Amino acid sequence: MSDRPIVLTGRWGEPDTVWMDRYLETGGYRGLRKALKMTPAEVIEEVKASGLRGRGGAGFPTGVKWSFVPQDTGKPTYLVVNFDESEPGTFNNRELVERDPHQFLEGAIIAAYAVQSHTAFIYCRGEFVWPGMILERIVAEAYDEGFLGKDILGTGYDLDVVIHRGAGAYICGEETALLSSLEGYRGQPRLRPPFPAVEGLYASPTLINNVETLANVPHVLEKGADWFKGFGSEKSPGTKIFSVSGKVERPGNYEAPLGTTAREVIEELAGGVPGGKRLKAWTPGGSSTPFLTDQHLDVHLDFEEVQAAGSLLGTGAIMVCDETDCMVEVTRRLTQFYAHESCGKCTPCREGTWWGVRVLGRIEAGYGRQEDLKLLDDLGKNMLFKAFCALADGAVSPIASSLKFFHDEYERHIGERRCPVTGKSPGISSEMGKERTDVPHAAEEPEWIDMSEVLR
Amino acid sequence: MSEHQDMATLTIDGKEVTVPKGTLVIRAAEQLGIEIPRFCDHPLLDPIGACRQCYVELEGQRKLFTSCTTEVADGMVVHTQNTSEPAHEAQVANLEFLLLNHPLDCPICDRGGECPLQDQTMAYGPGESRYVESKRTYAKPVPLSPLVDLDRERCVLCARCTRFCDQISGDRFIELYARGAGEQVAIAAGEDFASPFSGNTIQICPVGALTATTYRFVARPFDIRSADSVCSHCSAGCNVKVDVRRGGVVRVLARDNLEVNDSWVCDKGRFAFGFGDTPDRVSTPLIRDRGLEPAPFGEVFARIAEWSRGRRVAFLTGGRLADEDAYALSKLARTAFGTNDLDHRRHLGGGHAERLVAAESMQVTYRDVERAKAIVVVGLDAEQEVPILHLRIRKAARKHGATVVVIGPHRTRLWDVARHVPCLPGEEAHMLERLLDAPEDDPELGMVSVAVRAAAGDAVVLAGPRVADVPIALDLVMRQANRIGARFTWVSRRAGDRGALRAGVHPELLPGGRRVTDAAERAEVEAVWGELANAMRGRDAHQILEAAAKREIDVLFLIGVDPLRDFPDAKLALRGLQNVPNKVVQDLRLGDLEPFADAFLPAAASFERDGHFTTWEGRGQRIRPVRDPAGLARPDWEIFAGLAEAVGGDLGFPSLEVLREELGGLLAPREGLGHDPGFLFLPPVDHTDKELILFTSPLLVDEGRLSVGADHLKAALEEDAFAEVHPADAERLGLADGGRARVRTEAGEAELPVRVTSHLAQGACFVPFNQPGLAANTLLTGRFTIVATLEPAVEATAGVAAGASSHEGEA
Amino acid sequence: MESHPSVLTPELREQAERITARYPAGRRRSAVLPLLYLVQSVEGRVTREGLREVAGLLGITTAEVEAVATFYTMIRLRPTGRYVVSVCTNLPCALRGAREVLEAAHRAAGVPEGGEISEDGMFGVHEEECLAACDAAPVVTVNFVNYDRTTPERVTELVEALRRGEEPAPSRGSFPGDFKRMSRVLAGLPPEEAVP
Repeated sequence: MSDRPIVLTGRWGEPDTVWMDRYLETGGYRGLRKALKMTPAEVIEEVKASGLRGRGGAGFPTGVKWSFVPQDTGKPTYLVVNFDESEPGTFNNRELVERDPHQFLEGAIIAAYAVQSHTAFIYCRGEFVWPGMILERIVAEAYDEGFLGKDILGTGYDLDVVIHRGAGAYICGEETALLSSLEGYRGQPRLRPPFPAVEGLYASPTLINNVETLANVPHVLEKGADWFKGFGSEKSPGTKIFSVSGKVERPGNYEAPLGTTAREVIEELAGGVPGGKRLKAWTPGGSSTPFLTDQHLDVHLDFEEVQAAGSLLGTGAIMVCDETDCMVEVTRRLTQFYAHESCGKCTPCREGTWWGVRVLGRIEAGYGRQEDLKLLDDLGKNMLFKAFCALADGAVSPIASSLKFFHDEYERHIGERRCPVTGKSPGISSEMGKERTDVPHAAEEPEWIDMSEVLR
Repeated sequence: MSEHQDMATLTIDGKEVTVPKGTLVIRAAEQLGIEIPRFCDHPLLDPIGACRQCYVELEGQRKLFTSCTTEVADGMVVHTQNTSEPAHEAQVANLEFLLLNHPLDCPICDRGGECPLQDQTMAYGPGESRYVESKRTYAKPVPLSPLVDLDRERCVLCARCTRFCDQISGDRFIELYARGAGEQVAIAAGEDFASPFSGNTIQICPVGALTATTYRFVARPFDIRSADSVCSHCSAGCNVKVDVRRGGVVRVLARDNLEVNDSWVCDKGRFAFGFGDTPDRVSTPLIRDRGLEPAPFGEVFARIAEWSRGRRVAFLTGGRLADEDAYALSKLARTAFGTNDLDHRRHLGGGHAERLVAAESMQVTYRDVERAKAIVVVGLDAEQEVPILHLRIRKAARKHGATVVVIGPHRTRLWDVARHVPCLPGEEAHMLERLLDAPEDDPELGMVSVAVRAAAGDAVVLAGPRVADVPIALDLVMRQANRIGARFTWVSRRAGDRGALRAGVHPELLPGGRRVTDAAERAEVEAVWGELANAMRGRDAHQILEAAAKREIDVLFLIGVDPLRDFPDAKLALRGLQNVPNKVVQDLRLGDLEPFADAFLPAAASFERDGHFTTWEGRGQRIRPVRDPAGLARPDWEIFAGLAEAVGGDLGFPSLEVLREELGGLLAPREGLGHDPGFLFLPPVDHTDKELILFTSPLLVDEGRLSVGADHLKAALEEDAFAEVHPADAERLGLADGGRARVRTEAGEAELPVRVTSHLAQGACFVPFNQPGLAANTLLTGRFTIVATLEPAVEATAGVAAGASSHEGEA
Repeated sequence: MESHPSVLTPELREQAERITARYPAGRRRSAVLPLLYLVQSVEGRVTREGLREVAGLLGITTAEVEAVATFYTMIRLRPTGRYVVSVCTNLPCALRGAREVLEAAHRAAGVPEGGEISEDGMFGVHEEECLAACDAAPVVTVNFVNYDRTTPERVTELVEALRRGEEPAPSRGSFPGDFKRMSRVLAGLPPEEAVP
């Protein structure tokens, strides 16, 4: 597939493409130069015309999002770059920053100019120690080159960038939770409306964009909307970096046009399932998107078609399970993730994720009851679209889709009191069914607080 | 037209309702009498949408919506659980989630029987859990303070308590910690929930997670009797419900009144309810023969009449009297005893402004405060003095963006919403003038000055009780308010203050602010009371005690007052008591006055009788009995009627209704008195560099008589006496934070722990009025402000002085 | 106005002021996470005194700071070791043998299963959620710097090298130093000015 179009990962093959000199040598900051000669409204129109859609998961048209940011409110306007990449299976933002960080920074400066923001924050996932250090250096480089700071390239436009590191919370990828976190609060989502575009950071107009989204922007500006629309499908133009992981020969990030089939990405780019085993289940866009099976490998990976197939494109993170993997265990492990990451604010998510882990763990360990399947099904239904934010909806995805496609596997777990896939029996398979120590147990204090200190 | 545009008409369960745009669906439903179940929603807190219980279906929408976060829209069609199966199912499902971790300890939970979660579970909750795993358990209960216990197992994490502390009181001592299933309410280790509003979190808790230590395991809803009443602890006038079990008061809850206290009451109002049930309550009349001995009312009245015949009689009262009592006393003193020697005040410098307040020709209400564009708080620490007013000022700032300025020697706990302009005690009026004079470009005061002046008629100026400590000062503040057209009032502190002032428990003012010395005004009163024998201004509280000390008073009535503790000159008070032949004490108990009382008349407590209290705004509110008076105790006005009879008079009040009717005529608001106080000159406070201006005012929780028995409250909030000084003064005087200081005034001296704080104006020294360790009136000579010297106390003095001198020697 | 002994040195308090100055005027509170990292860079975790100090710097209550500190997993309120070995066990890593790697890490570091740190305080072992490096599964990080494609053997070697005082080169970036130094980096301070 050497002829597949490359937009975002063009510099990945070469060594030392990280820093400014090399970026400039390879055509960097041309998009910004061009954008600064246009009016902000023209920049927004160009991005609108390109049909670029947000790569963070929801797929909202980027130019339209930019146009929602009001001007002349009397308050400052902020740009926030969402680099809190935490969706299980997703790792393209990290690699974009590790290999070609100026690309998204250039996009961020263009976005800031388009909405006339003079302060931009990069919310960097806390665990990204090394990517965060890269950010610090490239931001300094951009100041030195006059792409940031006062009077950028002599245009009179000013922009400052502040790097803000998170501290370990998946929920902060949700944009209102991210804003809470950036303001110094617990990362819990906020009510919408007001929408961040109108009242976001510090109750001021705020544009929030994902790293991969912004990485596309310099290309759109440099080469034009029509060029960009030359890739991908009509409603989902451009390319996407698919993060492929799990049971494939070559896990990694692969850039391909939107609309490429899952079979091409999994089998051709990532080398397919190793050892000649059968593919059993895969996610199109991270753990929050429902599983699909080997029946769905010819689905075209764009926003519309994946949804038509019963899942979501999400972040384009393809996690692959093969025939030797127990789907009860897989589902329990993912549910455990959501229990760990639930912010606790609303009832269905807080209780549903935690109790879901316990029911799934019990079935996995061979102590399931026939009524547990209805219970799990209800648990999912009672969470779906019932929680404050989409985290709970994401948590329902693996539960509902595994029940749908692998119902008999659950049945056999319960009926045979052991795993029909791995053959593990009670007590043995429960090794991974153990509850995480940082989800509070019955009769135990949660790990966060030493209650003996609180008790006086 | 615009009014129409601001309204929305929607249909809920088939019924149409029109409400202002911006109204939440859950509120609109309430207007139709449709109750949507909820836990996190509270009308006075910002919407949060956390519990997810209040789902409704909106026609044309695929998903369900939480009615507590969804604003109405014109033409919206809403189906609640009553008419929507999906909404009903979602609510049942959510209840199942909520109950998963909720213990089944209702039988021993204080909230049992009045618990929203229990009610809803009984109504449509599942009978049995479908889950088999054990519930989350925690150690229980965790004391958050001596008043509030936390039981985390019961908590449904609705965040009402933490939002109250954040949004309403600003006392952010409790927070939600951790996350997910481990999320929990907590307090920083080693720190206290030291908020004077903490009890409100208990009341708004929708389950039994927060409980009052005063009420734990005390009663059940079915074995208490309740009455609606009004709190008697200060002039805020909080509407409360008083719960009595087997005759004893066991609980006070706030009632909703959006015109007065919203849904809140301070911790003193909530937890200091035991004052009528203390072991030293005296509920029979007493007369001193060999000792103080019980006697029938008639006999005590007769003896008092004997003492008084043709003799010099004076009356001092405290702040406890209901409006009717004050009126009866005003009439009793003038008509039956022919004296104007009566006073209820502590601060004597009221002037013209005081007369306008007495005449109710000057009013500011809570609503005015809430809607004001600018609020100037002068010489008032509302949190300590009228706590609910403090909350309303916060609300004005937070919800409506009011500019708040605090002028005084103390930075108050409005710190996060207000601009503080520090000044020396007694100089508040001058500072206000400076503020209003400040040009726009004044770096200090310019911006805030512009905001206050621009607010003009939408500005409110609130002067605290202490402002009237300096004669003329109150009038000066009023003149400044008049200058910009702002509304002005003097905020009295005690529950009975404004009622007593209106009724004329005052040496010069008759009911309605009519001057006894003004023939025309006096005639208006005489038309109701008959001719008054005495048209001379009487003695004020200070003069009464001075006269008593000089043996110029024969009979002194002490009605709900203890001059030894309450009057700002302890020595004078003591000499006064020692030199009056006959002292009549009328109160709930004798207390410190036991050695002095020659007769005792047992008064009914506020929750044992009918009557009214007037708030600082001038709003009269009814109090109702929740139980009979203890023993032979009677409402004060009845005692006054009995006394009148005993001396051959007749107040003419066969019933409270008759009294109220008469009172209503004389206390109707009077207009046209003029708001110009006339020529005013206030000399600056005179003191040397070495001296500080000591000022004092009562803290909310102190040794006051109505807080007797409130042990939990005191454990939580009562501070021992201290002296606060500014860091610069501390350095100059060699005082260290946490050290001790010897405080000297012309009246006396005391040794106090020192607090060094930049929250105090330089040159000032604050000593609370009545805390354990010091009755500050031993340092005073009739006013609440006095020149003082401070130096390190003995032990510290040795070290510091030695160090200082050796240092100088070396230099 | 009680004065507590300060966790931060005068120099670090100056740094704290610079950190708060990153944010717009009146938005000091935004600095709560970097300041918690700063305190963590001194204490190796955040103690009660550290929480109070951050509260004082920001003009908010200790409870407000602690509420934030307990929300985020990278702020450690209990001792967490000089080297925090994190093993991702989320799906992509689990599918490629993370469970065995986690067990090996526990054994090598001397941290009992269910325990958090080794007796000598040198190692903490953490089961971690997805660290966004699934191409390199199973993912192990030491103080949040990545060691790719681990096996039980490789993680054992890694831990032993650390115990010997070596600085094994990570797959990307440079050796992070101990947990205090890593916290300093996370506070946004130049790593070369290491904490004394």
